[in-house]
Amino acid sequence: MKNLSKRLGTLALSLLGIGAVIIIWALAVRYTRIGLLLPSPWEVVKRFAYVCSHTIGKKYTVFGHLLISLKRVLIGFAAASVAGIILGISMGRFKMIEAIFRPIFEIVRPIPSVAWIPLAIVWFGIGENAKFYIIFMAGFVNITVNTFAGAKQVDENVLGAAYMLGASKLQAFFRVVIPSCVPYIFAGMQVGLSTCWMAVLAAEMVSSTAGIGWTITSGQENGDMVQIFVGIIAIAVVGLLMAVLMRWLEKVLCQWRERGS
Amino acid sequence: MDEKLQNTARKRRLQYRLISLCSILVFIGIWYLATAVLQLAPSYSLPSPVKVFQTFITKLTKTAPEGATLGQHFLASLQVAFTGYVLGVVIGVPLGILMAWHKWVDIIVRPVFDFLKPIPPIALIPVMIVLLGITIKAKAVLIFFSTVIPCILNSYSGIKQTKSIHLWVAQTFGASRRQQLFTIAIPSAMPMIFAGLRVAMGSSWMALVAAELLASTKGLGYMISVGRALLRSDLIIVGILCLGLIGIVISFLFDLLEKLFVRGGKER
Amino acid sequence: MEGAWILMAETKNPIISCDHVSKTFYSLAGDHLVVDDLSFNVYENEFVVLFGPGQCGKSTILNLIAGLELPTKGKIIVDGEPVVGPSPNRGMVYQTTNLFMWETVMQNVEFGPSVRHVPRKKRREIAQKYIDLVGLTGFEKHYPVKLSGGMQQRVGIARAYANEPKIICMDEPFGHLDAQTRYLMEADVDRITHAEKRTVLFVTNNVEEAIYLADRIILLHNCPTSVHKEYKVDFPRPRDYTAPDFLALREKITDEMDKTL
Repeated sequence: MKNLSKRLGTLALSLLGIGAVIIIWALAVRYTRIGLLLPSPWEVVKRFAYVCSHTIGKKYTVFGHLLISLKRVLIGFAAASVAGIILGISMGRFKMIEAIFRPIFEIVRPIPSVAWIPLAIVWFGIGENAKFYIIFMAGFVNITVNTFAGAKQVDENVLGAAYMLGASKLQAFFRVVIPSCVPYIFAGMQVGLSTCWMAVLAAEMVSSTAGIGWTITSGQENGDMVQIFVGIIAIAVVGLLMAVLMRWLEKVLCQWRERGS
Repeated sequence: MDEKLQNTARKRRLQYRLISLCSILVFIGIWYLATAVLQLAPSYSLPSPVKVFQTFITKLTKTAPEGATLGQHFLASLQVAFTGYVLGVVIGVPLGILMAWHKWVDIIVRPVFDFLKPIPPIALIPVMIVLLGITIKAKAVLIFFSTVIPCILNSYSGIKQTKSIHLWVAQTFGASRRQQLFTIAIPSAMPMIFAGLRVAMGSSWMALVAAELLASTKGLGYMISVGRALLRSDLIIVGILCLGLIGIVISFLFDLLEKLFVRGGKER
Repeated sequence: MEGAWILMAETKNPIISCDHVSKTFYSLAGDHLVVDDLSFNVYENEFVVLFGPGQCGKSTILNLIAGLELPTKGKIIVDGEPVVGPSPNRGMVYQTTNLFMWETVMQNVEFGPSVRHVPRKKRREIAQKYIDLVGLTGFEKHYPVKLSGGMQQRVGIARAYANEPKIICMDEPFGHLDAQTRYLMEADVDRITHAEKRTVLFVTNNVEEAIYLADRIILLHNCPTSVHKEYKVDFPRPRDYTAPDFLALREKITDEMDKTL
């Protein structure tokens, strides 16, 4: 009961804070020179409601654009997760594989994912494949790094305990190595997903004809500040939802780490 | 841990190093074979490693085709990044610490920060361009944004994670609240703050490249976007590799700094 | 009574026999002789305590018998066969428990049978029997993080027993526990080993614990480890920590222990 009231209090305080931000924003637009450059919150909300049922550009509503971007992220991210987990675990567990792939990976790792955009366009054209590639690279690096760290920290004593109980290499792998890597894999996937979301925006801003990233660049080209803000808010909300979803998934899958009360 | 394995530990290590070296050589070899010899891909899409190396050498001194040498691009990128980054750190870290230490600062600043947190800095590029044009100022503000948020986030949680038992120890020795902050809370939050600086570096580096890709007249990001427009993938690859190299150097510098500032090592 | 014991021991073949075993660790810093010319036998259903001061050597002996490490010199024969690697015939209980933190108590305990592909129903039965035996009934669905140190160690013991090994090695299993829990656990181990006859090899650095549990105590030299002296303990069980015999033996061993340092 006490917990609930405390939570409600925090919620109220946060809402109050956000309300305050919006009011200050509104007042600043109304009474200072910022108003010449920035739209008022009211305008943004109005436009947001409008584009929920009307199109931005020729074809899609704001949800349509979001769906396009989400689909790209989902495909790229899924591929990156599979590849990253496989590479990370095999590099972490097998010295030979580490010796072979680590140096090449270390060359790729520090490259900021957006830097792949021009190369991806030259290689794959301006179609979907270029975007998948960029998103893939963005997620792949983070997931591999974390999975690798996880596979390296598997407790050899616990592994020894599994062997002592009669587990084969394969059984020990699935019942000890993989589960003890899961928290690390998740950390990587969380960072990876938010980087992928950023990468899809960048990719769409550089070259595309649809997607939520495109809505802000088209706003910029038309000098339509309200549309830029609508885009940013949509991006932020979806980013937030993704983070919440990942945290929830982590809680479900990594239950065993929760000490609880 | 049998005898043989222990005795050959050193040999093993050398062997793995050799394999690593071979693997890079094989990688470059296949690349060379596929491009220069077999010509599997047109040279505008994948140049041979030799061509990339040549471009790298010429770009060190020549300004063609986009009007600056590699060094000039690098300095341009670095200058912008540095201004925005330093500003972001100088404001973000103290703000994060204050938010964690003083409840009323937390109450006032937190919502603003929660509001801004989920916005990827890249999404702000068009706003900056409209507000400030294609200027250094626009990029510096962008870098500032992408730096300040991770800085606040990590300093905040670093201070919040201070063990209360350590604070109690300080209290029993009669430390004032200010002394507790400077002698207990901040040093114990140092590893966390440093992690924040690293994250900030990564995200601002990414934001900068994106900004240079979209709107710029100088910088490594600009160079690779020109490479794309001219279908000069050798130029792009040189640019990408340079970006990666700078990333490595920066993270190396961070390791050094961290050793200097984080006293007593990281807690595991 | 004493004579009868010797007669029994001599008519049986040893189940564990260490024959002039030495172990040296090689590292870049230099060689480190940990176990030096160690010989002893353990007979079936005997509770033998390896007792000695200091840090080095004792756990190494258990690791050698477990097969997690191989001796530099000498031979270890368990149940008629030389030790070449880990085997489910030898159960291990560790000081750090080495539980599978991502599995529930039930899953931990039935790990051994499950990797041997014992049918689900059967292995549940086995696991339940040992969970009941160690007194964890009702905690089957809990994750180990939620249990106290003593309870985690009980899971470790149940896990080792559930694999139904011939020999159980316990490596300072109560080293991390507080004194009160330690007494409770000692009483429980006494009860469990009485209910389920097994050969137990128990390592400790606590005299009371050694005398309370052992049929035979092997006092070890510190660093490099070798056998210093053996004591037969044939007090009736459960033993009384404050009985005059107990205290006398305790003093004898403590005095002797000082000589090993």
